[in-house]
Amino acid sequence: MIALALQDTARSFFDLEAGSADLDIIGGWLVAFLTLCVFSFLYKDNPFYKFAEHLFVGAGTAFFALQYYQEGILEPLRDHIGDALEHQQAGELVQLGGYGVDAGIAIAARCFAVLLSIMLLSRLVKPGGWAPRWPLAIMVGVYAAIKLTGETQSKLVQQFRGMMKPLTSDTAMAWGDNWQNVEQTAAFYTFAQVVLLVGTVCALGHFVFTFRRTRFLGGVSRVGVVVLMITFGSMFGFTVLGRIALLIERVDSLGGLTGDGYQLAGTDGSVMSALTSPPVLTGTLIVLVLLLLKGRRGDGDAGSGSAA
Amino acid sequence: MASATGLDRRWIFLVMGVLVVSLYVLGEAAEMPVNEYVQSYYDTIEALPEGTIVMLSADFDPASMAELLPMYQGTIHQLLRNNIRVLNVSTWPAAPPYTRAEFDRIAPQYEKVYGVDWVELGFKPGDDVAMGQIGQSVRSAYAKDDRNLKPLNELPLLNDVSAGFGGISLLITMSAGYPGILEWIAQAGGRYEVPILTGTTAVQTPDLYAYYPSQLEGFLGAATGATQYLQLVGEQTEDVHESRDRNQARMLIQSWVHIFIVLLIVVGNVLYFVGKRSAA
Repeated sequence: MIALALQDTARSFFDLEAGSADLDIIGGWLVAFLTLCVFSFLYKDNPFYKFAEHLFVGAGTAFFALQYYQEGILEPLRDHIGDALEHQQAGELVQLGGYGVDAGIAIAARCFAVLLSIMLLSRLVKPGGWAPRWPLAIMVGVYAAIKLTGETQSKLVQQFRGMMKPLTSDTAMAWGDNWQNVEQTAAFYTFAQVVLLVGTVCALGHFVFTFRRTRFLGGVSRVGVVVLMITFGSMFGFTVLGRIALLIERVDSLGGLTGDGYQLAGTDGSVMSALTSPPVLTGTLIVLVLLLLKGRRGDGDAGSGSAA
Repeated sequence: MASATGLDRRWIFLVMGVLVVSLYVLGEAAEMPVNEYVQSYYDTIEALPEGTIVMLSADFDPASMAELLPMYQGTIHQLLRNNIRVLNVSTWPAAPPYTRAEFDRIAPQYEKVYGVDWVELGFKPGDDVAMGQIGQSVRSAYAKDDRNLKPLNELPLLNDVSAGFGGISLLITMSAGYPGILEWIAQAGGRYEVPILTGTTAVQTPDLYAYYPSQLEGFLGAATGATQYLQLVGEQTEDVHESRDRNQARMLIQSWVHIFIVLLIVVGNVLYFVGKRSAA
């Protein structure tokens, strides 16, 4: 594999976008091996899966830590303060929260943020002290304010407005005009609006616990439950759609690795060539090792720890 | 169902795997009818005048690339083909390397110049707060761009962007979860009334119907939406053809797998009720 990579300098060394990037021998083999390691969990928990899991968590943590340090600490301090100092020398205002302010104020605001961060971390030295409470209070207050304004508008006001529509439409087609496009007819529009209105009222009615469940409220609640179940069913269907899309994409990705350039036995189109492609070889390796382990440990634990 | 029959669930996994691989090897593809939401997404971008600035937010990671990357590619093609300028941001740390690779590949096809036709500002930590900050002022949210680490003053595109989403005509987000489209609707749509388009994963899609058309101009729902959108973009962009054909083939596999799952659910329910009656 390494010999193959060294033979051809045109191949990129480590680009994991199989199928769309240049051929990448080591990356391709890693993609195949790690994908099949994760899939092996469907059989049962095993060392290959554990290896892939730990590698993923370790690499992910390192990547995220670096990104957050770069963009969350280094840039706000080094770049923004440097930018403010440049503006100060030029006698210009600095943008802060949408307003042009004096560079000194911008630098002071950044330094105040650093001070708050240090106060927050002081709980590591003295748990229960007063210092971490101030930044926490500011964070909660600012977050609540930011969420409240936008969320109220988008999830309350606009949703109410969306509900308050007339039950009839002047622009929709008459039933006889083109009955094949049922969704565009006035009759369907009215039907949809009625379903929306009744469904919303009944679903909300299900959560009314202030009053005794009379026959009427019980009936409303029952219709509400049906509406909620249909909603959950729709969500389940979409979730299946998403998960299967991931599976198909992985199969597609592995399929791309059976193409020219990745096989150990060359690309002459022979059976041997196909058998030495990354998915086939790594898959065979995983199956063989799992069979070996099963033979050593006995079959007593077969099925334990299999995927939920 | 497995518990109802005593069948080991791994048989179901195996059949599912064989089904997907077999259909993949067959490689059949089918054209899909385009729904209203996808058509509206496409038409909204088509209606933008040349030179307009669009903020494109990549809020995804590799786990959702199967669904969102084709949409992202198609959107870049449509934007650049129509000479629309793109301001690229992200609230997910893993997205920038992928978005940069896509711009590297697609932008030269339309002879676009970095800094003039598109700018990559990269990842901004802080979730909702970061979105609010970007909305308030791009310049106070970012000091430098992500590609060349240049001060924003040196990038001509940024000269036409001002505070409060000033100069930005449309926000497009490829959303895989939190933070994503629902937060952008609150922070950009709710506070600054910026028109918004989105492409989302299947898990998020059911939440979006309530926002269309009042708060969303259009959306691409899951792999289905991606395929339909690529069909529309592919009519005028040859580079999308391969991606479109691949997505069409994937959707045919999806359809058969769904039929298989529906069959499993029906059989499982029948076995459950038959077992219940026998026990009674």
